[in-house]
Amino acid sequence: MTANTASELPLEQTVSPTDELTVAALIGEAHKSGTPVYPIGGGTSLDYGPQPARPGIRLSMNQMNRVLDHPADDLTITVEAGMTLAQLNRHLATKRQWLPIDAPESVRATVGGIVATNACGPRRYSHGTIGDYLLGIRAIDGCGEAYAGGGRVVKNAAGYNLPRLMVGSLGTLGVITQATFMVRPLPTHSALVICDLPSFQQAECLLAALGQSRTTPMIVELLAGPALPFCPLPALPDTAASRLAVGFEGSAADVQGMANVLCDEWQALGADGLTTITRARVDSAWNWLSESPAMLQINVLPSRLVGVMEQVAWLMAASPLQAHAGNGVLRIYRPSPPAPLPSTDEGSFANLVQNTLRPIVTAAGGHLTVLATPTGVELSPAEIWGPPRPGAALMRSIQQRFDPAGILNPGRYTL
Amino acid sequence: MSNTELIRKLRAALKPENVLSVPSELVVYDCDAFTVERHIPLAVVFPRSAVQVAEVVRACSDHGCPVVARGAGTGLAGGCTPPPNGVVIVLTRMNKILDIRLRDAMALVEPGVLNLQLTNALSGTGYHFAPDPSSQGTATIGGNVATNAGGPHTLKYGVTVNHVAGLEVVLGDGSILQFGPVEDPAALDLARVVCGSEGTLAIVTKIWAKLTKNPQACRTIRATFASIDDASQAVSQIIAAGIVPAALELMDRGILDAVEAAFALGVPPEAAAVLIIELDGPEAGLDSLLEQVIALCRNWNPGEVLQAKTPAERELLWKCRKMAVGAVGRLSPGYMIQDGVVPRTRLPHIFRRILEIAAKHRVRIVNVAHAGDGNVHPILLLDERDRDLTARAKAASREVLEECITCGGSITAEHGVGIEKIELMEKLFAPADLRAMHRVRQAFDPASQLNPGKKYKTICQ
Repeated sequence: MTANTASELPLEQTVSPTDELTVAALIGEAHKSGTPVYPIGGGTSLDYGPQPARPGIRLSMNQMNRVLDHPADDLTITVEAGMTLAQLNRHLATKRQWLPIDAPESVRATVGGIVATNACGPRRYSHGTIGDYLLGIRAIDGCGEAYAGGGRVVKNAAGYNLPRLMVGSLGTLGVITQATFMVRPLPTHSALVICDLPSFQQAECLLAALGQSRTTPMIVELLAGPALPFCPLPALPDTAASRLAVGFEGSAADVQGMANVLCDEWQALGADGLTTITRARVDSAWNWLSESPAMLQINVLPSRLVGVMEQVAWLMAASPLQAHAGNGVLRIYRPSPPAPLPSTDEGSFANLVQNTLRPIVTAAGGHLTVLATPTGVELSPAEIWGPPRPGAALMRSIQQRFDPAGILNPGRYTL
Repeated sequence: MSNTELIRKLRAALKPENVLSVPSELVVYDCDAFTVERHIPLAVVFPRSAVQVAEVVRACSDHGCPVVARGAGTGLAGGCTPPPNGVVIVLTRMNKILDIRLRDAMALVEPGVLNLQLTNALSGTGYHFAPDPSSQGTATIGGNVATNAGGPHTLKYGVTVNHVAGLEVVLGDGSILQFGPVEDPAALDLARVVCGSEGTLAIVTKIWAKLTKNPQACRTIRATFASIDDASQAVSQIIAAGIVPAALELMDRGILDAVEAAFALGVPPEAAAVLIIELDGPEAGLDSLLEQVIALCRNWNPGEVLQAKTPAERELLWKCRKMAVGAVGRLSPGYMIQDGVVPRTRLPHIFRRILEIAAKHRVRIVNVAHAGDGNVHPILLLDERDRDLTARAKAASREVLEECITCGGSITAEHGVGIEKIELMEKLFAPADLRAMHRVRQAFDPASQLNPGKKYKTICQ
């Protein structure tokens, strides 16, 4: 890292510390001079949130990527925040373990960044999200002081759940330097059952029936619109409105057994055109389902998902749609192949978000979030996240206590 | 405002029959299941809605007196011991299951709903509420949230925080807020921060509980061992092999004596420890997994390995485990149950140390443990009338927890800190960590209205 003082660093300058003390010293200096600090992990979410309005330091965590402690027999691991999810899982795989969550672009996405953005993917249906595995955390607050929360054991009721507080806080409560995770044994087999459906109504019928299924799915994905690039699955036929993909993981016997049972259950409900994917092809299909960064995200209750998705599919016919349907998460991708978004008049993207999509989502009791603002477009926080929430004052009060000078990712989150 | 005025105000807000203020009635609420320390509250109120909770909080705030929310009072760490001059808000009359939405795998419940009440209401639906503390027949879900309660099956399914989708809460200023149940990228995850905060951040008035699908099948076995050391080695080895059973519980000879007397489980008298191991999941792979587990147990010379063949046999096993602590009454007039946690590989070590500590302080300690989680519950037998013994039990307790810290563990896995363990927080956390926690507390409750004096000492701020 350079010897510059914080106040001399323009935004373009990236500082890449290799240890926590340096991070703390840098933030401590920035606190004194009032210089904003913009932490960055793998850079997969740079288009998320308003762009930095004030010049400051770009604090790259990518040199802090070591495994600090992996007591494999305890099924826990402590790593530096700049380690990527792919690196982490490669390391864990040597002990036949893994962190069973997904995040788009796992080769670049760092664990610190995943915690800060609460990135997730298909496996959240069975495995939950990063917060369910985050046992402990270390971070540097806005004054340059290191603090820790949680611990290194799998169950812990001492102190407040600071790890959970950090999840999704977008770096505004501290720059995460370390995280401890609970890990799980790596499953040996997986399978994917795919069903193309003529209507969204039928998708809802199958999704509702999953609640009483004798199987235990790991992922429940509903796809619509054009396929994302590099689709390893057969193309969606013109006669189909959507495609349901349900995945299983476990031993060979479990996986094959459950795939068969699900096919039987679905056929009994009148579904046809079922495909079961196993062996080598299943990995590429699962990766394809979890690795792409989305443009917009909708969160609703699972029971409201299909209704919302049907409307969005009609409005944004050029965009691939993917729902983590069992969790009520709908992800909308950039048009593929590239095409203009609907309503191409002046300020079209903001218009699409505010006047077309958000009313639909709000009526369904959910939230619409712009995950990646298109290049050249500027959006306000209200356009990105919707109106301030009832708890906003409380959240701001928390944030101000962790960062009294307002230097951590200023203007980039709702706080 | 005098105390009389406050009580008049509370009566006006809640109707007189929902406010207790006579000393003989108040004394019932002077502690929870941590009976070593007691304070008579100023008043006890029984609200029926969030609005009434908010009115009570505001009235108390105007009066400058703190409040503590309480469910069934099964807490073991003094989390709802009334603060001096405090008002106890008992939430047990807010006990309705408001909605069960299987399509969303969610139930909306009031905080006074009993844990088992929800599970019973779900009977036949194919779903259940996963946290299953041993006190589930009497403990409320509000209390489960406050302590982030666990139970045997949290090994595979996670503790309360993993099963809460949203909360409605009343803050210390009487405002009512809702967090969730729909995940919101524009908001901090405050519902899950309130989980485990022991009533110090907010009073929970509604819970959106996540429901878990019942497993397709399960296998339950009990294996006996010649020593607690062998049993705990087997546990560590099962976890190290990458097997995560639904539950992996340990009971030692001491507690087995009480269990046998109470329920006639039929464990051979020569067994020094027993493991209860439950595996669940798809039927197809269960038997081979069970074989693996039994093979791992065989490395540690089990006396007998018996499988529950009928649901009734399985229920007896679980009844014995869950009622074990209650059965301790047969061993001594009083007891103190501890709640420490260590990395799973350190289980054999911590049990050895517990034996040494018991000998050193001349206190009898019997053990139950959510062993798969590394969560030990040494039970120290005492007689509160014997001050010297009680003092030794406290000293032994503390030494056990300090050993948990030394092992890289924690002073509580699921019971909370309350007042009991408050002294140890400074051993577990650095001053900066406690300051970070206090920032959260000050933001939620700047006037220190909610359950002051719990969780950690605020002097250090």
